[in-house]
Amino acid sequence: MNAIALLSDEAVETPLQVAGEASGVFSLTWLLVALPLMGAAVLLLGGRRTDKWGPYLGVLTVWIAFAIGALQFIAMLGEPSGERAKAQDLYTWASAGIFDVNVGFLVDQLSMIFVLLITFVGGLIHVYSLGYMSEDAGRRRFFGYLNLFVASMLLLVLANDYVMVYIGWEGVGLASYLLIGFWNQRPDYATAGNKAFVMNRVGDMGLGVAIMVLFATFGTTAFAGVFENAPEASSGTILALGLLLLLAACGKSAQLPLQAWLLDAMAGPTPVSALIHAATMVTAGVYLIVRSAPIFNLSEGARLAVAIVGVATLLLGAAIGCAKDDIKKALAGSTMSQIGYMVLAAGLGPAGYAFAIMHLLLHGFFKANLFLGAGSVMHAMNDELDMRRFGGLRKVMPITFITFMAGYLAIIGIPPFDGFFSKDKIIEAALGENVWLGVLAAIGAGITGYYMTRVVLMTFFGERRWADDAHPHESPKVMTGPLVVLGLLSAFAGLVLAAGNRFVVWLEPVVGEPIEHDFSVPVWVISALVLALVGVGVALAYLQYASKPVPVTAPAGSLLTVAARRNFYDDAINEGVAMRPGQYLTRFLVWFDIKGVDGAVNGSAALIGGSSGRLRRWQSGFVRTYALSMFAGAVLVVGALVLVRVS
Amino acid sequence: MNEFPWLTTIGALPLAGAVVVAFLPASRATLAKQMALVISFVVLGLTVAMALQFDADSVAPFQFVESVDWIPQFGISYAVGVDGIALVLIALVAVLTPVALLADWHVIVDDGKHRVSTYCGLVLALEGVVVFAFAATDLFLFYVAFEVMLIPVYFLIGMFGGAQRSYAAVKFLLYSLLGGLILLAGVISLYVISSRELAEGTFDVLALGELSLDPTTERWLFVAFFFAFAVKAPMVPVHTWLPDAAAAGTPGTNTLLVGVLDKVGTFAMLRLCLPLFPDASQWAAPVVVTLAVFGIVYAGLLAIGQSDMNRLVAYTSVSHFGAIILGIFAFTELAGSGATVYMFAHGLSAAALFVTVGFLIRRRGSAMISSYGGVARVAPVLAGVFLMAGFATLSLPGLVSFVGELTTLVGSYERWPVAAVIAVIGIVLSALYVLLMYKRVAQGPATENVKGFKDLVPIEAAAISPLIALAIFFGFYPQPLFDVINPAIERTIDQVGAPAITPDVVSEAIGGVR
Amino acid sequence: MTHLAVEGFATPEFDYRLIIPTLIVFGGAVFGVLVEAFLPRTSRRPVQLVLAFGALIGASAYLLLVTIPHVAPGSVVRAGAQGTIMMDRPAVFLQALVLLLSLVAFLVFAERRIDAGGDSFTPSAATIPGSVAERELTRAGVTQTEIWPLALFSVAGMMLFPAANDLLMLFVALEVLSLPLYLMVGLSRRRRLLSQEAALKYFLLGAFSSAFLLFGSALLFGYSGSISFAGINEAIGTNLALDPLLLIGTALVSVGLLFKIGAVPFHSWVPDVYQGSPTPVTAFMAAVTKVAAFGALLRVFYVALGDYSWDWRPIIWGAAILSMVVGSVLAITQTDVKRILAYSSIAQAGFILTGVAAANTAGISSTLFYLVAYGFGTIGAFAVVTLVRDASGEATHLSRWAGLGKRSPLLAGTFALFLLAFAGIPLTSGFTSKFAVFEAAASGGATALVIVGVLMSAVAAFFYVRVIVLMFFSEPAPDGPTIAVPSFFTTVAIAISVGVTVALGVVPSWVLELAGDSAVFLR
Repeated sequence: MNAIALLSDEAVETPLQVAGEASGVFSLTWLLVALPLMGAAVLLLGGRRTDKWGPYLGVLTVWIAFAIGALQFIAMLGEPSGERAKAQDLYTWASAGIFDVNVGFLVDQLSMIFVLLITFVGGLIHVYSLGYMSEDAGRRRFFGYLNLFVASMLLLVLANDYVMVYIGWEGVGLASYLLIGFWNQRPDYATAGNKAFVMNRVGDMGLGVAIMVLFATFGTTAFAGVFENAPEASSGTILALGLLLLLAACGKSAQLPLQAWLLDAMAGPTPVSALIHAATMVTAGVYLIVRSAPIFNLSEGARLAVAIVGVATLLLGAAIGCAKDDIKKALAGSTMSQIGYMVLAAGLGPAGYAFAIMHLLLHGFFKANLFLGAGSVMHAMNDELDMRRFGGLRKVMPITFITFMAGYLAIIGIPPFDGFFSKDKIIEAALGENVWLGVLAAIGAGITGYYMTRVVLMTFFGERRWADDAHPHESPKVMTGPLVVLGLLSAFAGLVLAAGNRFVVWLEPVVGEPIEHDFSVPVWVISALVLALVGVGVALAYLQYASKPVPVTAPAGSLLTVAARRNFYDDAINEGVAMRPGQYLTRFLVWFDIKGVDGAVNGSAALIGGSSGRLRRWQSGFVRTYALSMFAGAVLVVGALVLVRVS
Repeated sequence: MNEFPWLTTIGALPLAGAVVVAFLPASRATLAKQMALVISFVVLGLTVAMALQFDADSVAPFQFVESVDWIPQFGISYAVGVDGIALVLIALVAVLTPVALLADWHVIVDDGKHRVSTYCGLVLALEGVVVFAFAATDLFLFYVAFEVMLIPVYFLIGMFGGAQRSYAAVKFLLYSLLGGLILLAGVISLYVISSRELAEGTFDVLALGELSLDPTTERWLFVAFFFAFAVKAPMVPVHTWLPDAAAAGTPGTNTLLVGVLDKVGTFAMLRLCLPLFPDASQWAAPVVVTLAVFGIVYAGLLAIGQSDMNRLVAYTSVSHFGAIILGIFAFTELAGSGATVYMFAHGLSAAALFVTVGFLIRRRGSAMISSYGGVARVAPVLAGVFLMAGFATLSLPGLVSFVGELTTLVGSYERWPVAAVIAVIGIVLSALYVLLMYKRVAQGPATENVKGFKDLVPIEAAAISPLIALAIFFGFYPQPLFDVINPAIERTIDQVGAPAITPDVVSEAIGGVR
Repeated sequence: MTHLAVEGFATPEFDYRLIIPTLIVFGGAVFGVLVEAFLPRTSRRPVQLVLAFGALIGASAYLLLVTIPHVAPGSVVRAGAQGTIMMDRPAVFLQALVLLLSLVAFLVFAERRIDAGGDSFTPSAATIPGSVAERELTRAGVTQTEIWPLALFSVAGMMLFPAANDLLMLFVALEVLSLPLYLMVGLSRRRRLLSQEAALKYFLLGAFSSAFLLFGSALLFGYSGSISFAGINEAIGTNLALDPLLLIGTALVSVGLLFKIGAVPFHSWVPDVYQGSPTPVTAFMAAVTKVAAFGALLRVFYVALGDYSWDWRPIIWGAAILSMVVGSVLAITQTDVKRILAYSSIAQAGFILTGVAAANTAGISSTLFYLVAYGFGTIGAFAVVTLVRDASGEATHLSRWAGLGKRSPLLAGTFALFLLAFAGIPLTSGFTSKFAVFEAAASGGATALVIVGVLMSAVAAFFYVRVIVLMFFSEPAPDGPTIAVPSFFTTVAIAISVGVTVALGVVPSWVLELAGDSAVFLR
């Protein structure tokens, strides 16, 4: 792999922290998954009986899970750094031959972060949904699905075995499918759900094959067994594993080339977009890569592939974010872009793992915040999505506005808001590993500044371009409450975590110590330059959207704009490359199966029938013919005998 | 441990019941159904009771063994017994028979054209015969069951089926009969060889397993046996009878046909082909595996292209059988056990889908996907059940079919990496054919076609819920299945004697941190 | 090559006890003729019935109670001057079978409730079809009773045929069984022209085949200087110069015999004759004649030519394959139930020949077993055919049978059972017997025959299944045929056939054992 000297190839040994037996509060780990799952079961099977109290049960399970998580977190802080990992095995799931998979959990520093993120943000969004979905007839179903998602997501991050990860992996895919298509009376929404599920399955193929390779190579699919023996495996195997896991990550995290589904996924109710398609599920790919650090550390090639995918998606997403007038799609583009940062960071290896996760966590806060803000706006504008119909909302929706601003500053990375601490570090690490990656990431930051400013300006500032029947109003407490919490988190969480490098230290036992790069210039210069870039972006946006009025109908726009509006023709590409040929193929095969394969069967039958008809003519009914045939037969018999004798 | 003749009872009770029920007057339609249902439940109860006494750790190849001379002139005896594989599949039969009866409860009604009592009799007869097919430890007895089971299905399709019923029925019967007769030639030759080698001929499968055949003969015999089982399974390219049969059959018939009868084919590959012709099995494996994998993708694509739901489900089954056969011919313990679990799982999932499709057809009178749309609007529960069945078919984690698929493929990868990787394409295809069908049928705005659809009625709920419940239970906790199956598979794999495969990197911490 | 026949011991004097069964039947026939001559028309039928059934039952009783114990293996069983008749175990088995089948067939003869005119036979064969005389006789309700003595004569011939131990007796037996049949074929009450045509065809072709047999016998005599099978067997291989005689003789004799069993290429008469003759006679002919003919065939090939099997096996092989293929394939496009059954019986002949071709004891026993299964199944099937009727008599056209299963499930079910048996579905006699002959063939090294056999069974299955489809899966026609309610006679006949067909499928071992014990010819 040394052929690719694009990343620093200094040998990275991976820490393997041995997980202790789960005891005390950690023995409750299984409840983290079981509670929301139980909630989902009750809500989905309970039927109309549970309509009344169902949603509240759904909210409750998640908060209880959070409580357990929090307790575990506290307990973990009490432990010395190296001994914080705890494992719990429930029962043997399936074993045959040497194959042996347990339903088991691993609570360590990494999964702890996720548990808190999922249950806390999840909990907030559950609360928010109480208000957001209060009118919807399918409310109970909605909360059932949300619980199902939380359960699956927690299984994904808590599992101690790739097979179990796979189960959670597909579980969240299922929940996402169900929620995207939640309003499937609209065929295009139903299609969006299918698209998401199918594209995710393409990614899942990667994880599935990875599991096969893992088992064939290590005789186990459990983290411990795999990571311990990874160094012995051949470099080819490791590279293959890396790429397979990357494929899986691309599917789940909407990275190139499997990004197309995410924008359509905005068909789901906004809380879903916030929780699943911004804060948590779409970041599962990053989790998978970081969790598999011991494998990626062994293969530069794999890491480079990851980094490239990350950068490419980061720019693509940002570009799309610039072009969308649909507020949710604009945010979705930014999500792609931000996940691009995380993937990039993960691709940088030990230099980036910690920051990837940090950005993931903070992004979880501010992106959820932004989405819920957008939801609040839609709610107020009776489900209007087009930002060109917004404008000047800061007066009528002050809370939404303020919280949204916090998220805005966080995402563009203005200190001391969240984004600054994580994104800036990622760019820095990228520069340290490979200048080009770094520069592109920095440019991405600039674009981020542009499109987010655009969103804010079009939504909250400028003149009111509302539809006539729109009477915006601030959302109810149950919705603004979560907004406030998330707003605060967007504002200060980064500062808290970055202080004293806390977060990095916390993760060290899992992902190793980040490599410190020494730059020719001091680090603050880099930060300054990045901020400058962001400033340029903001300025451009200001010139374009604040200085002159925003047209209610989108202008034609440059080629690039048009391409970006069309998500760079990904649908067209998928259609041309996969869908159409597939349709022709299936049509041909259907024809072939009937005419060809089955034709052969019926044909042979017809052949026998036909020969029967021909033979039948000999049965003329005339005695003379019969006598003749008898005579011929006699001759035949004699002939046969003679033949046998002479031969 | 078994003074009580479990297997004979479980097999004979439905047969006896069939006679009684079939001779009820046509006017007593409901009584016939009720009696049949009660009998099938008694059989289920007995099966559970037997399963509880099954000793997973026993070293004996078969349990609940019974044996009496039947046709001593040919060394034929009535010999039955089960190992884990057979036990699981018999349990499957016992579950699916009442399901089938309930599924057709409102379909087969006393309308002058159909004789309900005949129908019930045929279903019970089928159950009994199939049980004997799984339980037989005497090759001749197996063959008899293998052939006789065609007759009830033939009449079920031909007398109670849809438009194309007689074409479908005849095609089914002749296709299977051809396979069966070629099998007969093989069986007879094997018997002749046995009578040459041993003191006198025998049909005892264990004894036949001991025979030492010369390679050429062994291969010919393998081909004869395998062809018959490939037709039964069915496997591409001898699969074309199944879509026609499924399109013509009633939901219940399809449930039993695909859920149970076809399993006899894959079961027999495992129970007969591998142990009786170990070397030939290995010799043929590359070809078989190629066909199997081709079948997975081919049938999957065909399923996407179908416009008739029953045909679609039929093709999905062909695709799944490809995976099962791949697992069987991987000759690894994981793949073998996985394939067996997959048989069980597919029995449930295919049944669930056929049954729910049946519900739809009963309401709309058409199997065409295009004649539905927006069912979820008018009959949410029905749509939900339909989606569940679909998920079972696309092997969603948390459902037993996922367990089967995953273990089968992971196990197969060890021996046939390329094949297994190609087979994985199946999971994308399955997502496509299930979700596209579901979208066109259930999602979107309610169309005129589905106006006034009644939602699920109790009988229908009773038919479908056990399937889903079992699928979920064993999806979360499949180990009991493996516990029962593994020993039998290990024996089989030993008999094949394919070179064992060990991981490239032997890890001390197999299974990881406990 | 295992010896297919073992030496018996010569007995000095003529052992009458052994042929008493045959004599009883002959006696019955002779008395029957006298009855025809001297009794008034009205009282003939009951007397004839008593005579016929009495003769058969008496003969069977004697055979079972006296002869069988007497014919323990290896005991003194040669009868007649120079052992003209060989009452060894195969012979006894076959005679018993002939008698039992005839009994069942006679029950069908005796049926007279299903046809408005009485039984299935024309009141007077001499009258011209459609003539005034015929109509008057019909109106007078006159019944034909010559059929009984004729049938008895034929039965007697059939009992001799498989026991004949030299060429002369073989020929005599053949004629004795054939001549009455020629007449009986022409006695149909309905469709008389067809019936008479069939009779003529049968007679001409039968005579033709007899000629072959006779000429063949002459050649064999010329070769071996002996007409006794044993003598021929001894002579084989002694005189190479005359081998052509042996060769051609064997060929021609086999032609004569293959004609009687209706094997391809000597089958052309079968469809026409089976269709034309009165259905009860068809049943009798199809079942019993075949039994007798196969018996004779076995004896000729296994006893007279036993040590010569490598040379005659090709004939049997060829005939077997041709019969299976032609019979099965041709049946597919038939539209008349009786013709379908005719072709089916041709195919069956092929399957039975597979057993003969085995040329080992398993071959003998499996053939014997197959004959039992086939005989009862055939009679049963034709008996059912007699019950499906419309104004013009039996409705034998396939299309008329549509939806029979809906109209009368029991009858259709019975017929379906016989068809499934012919198709060789397990748990019916047909499967066991197919299994037996294939097993014998395989162990006799005739694997090729087995493969052709199974493939053709699949083809054959198609037309059996076709009939079932028609009966059960298609809607009955509005003006469909009526199902005649048979009297005691036919009912019993069908019941017996069903019983045997099922019994031989489920618990065949008893008969298999019997056939196994009877599988040794004496020379």
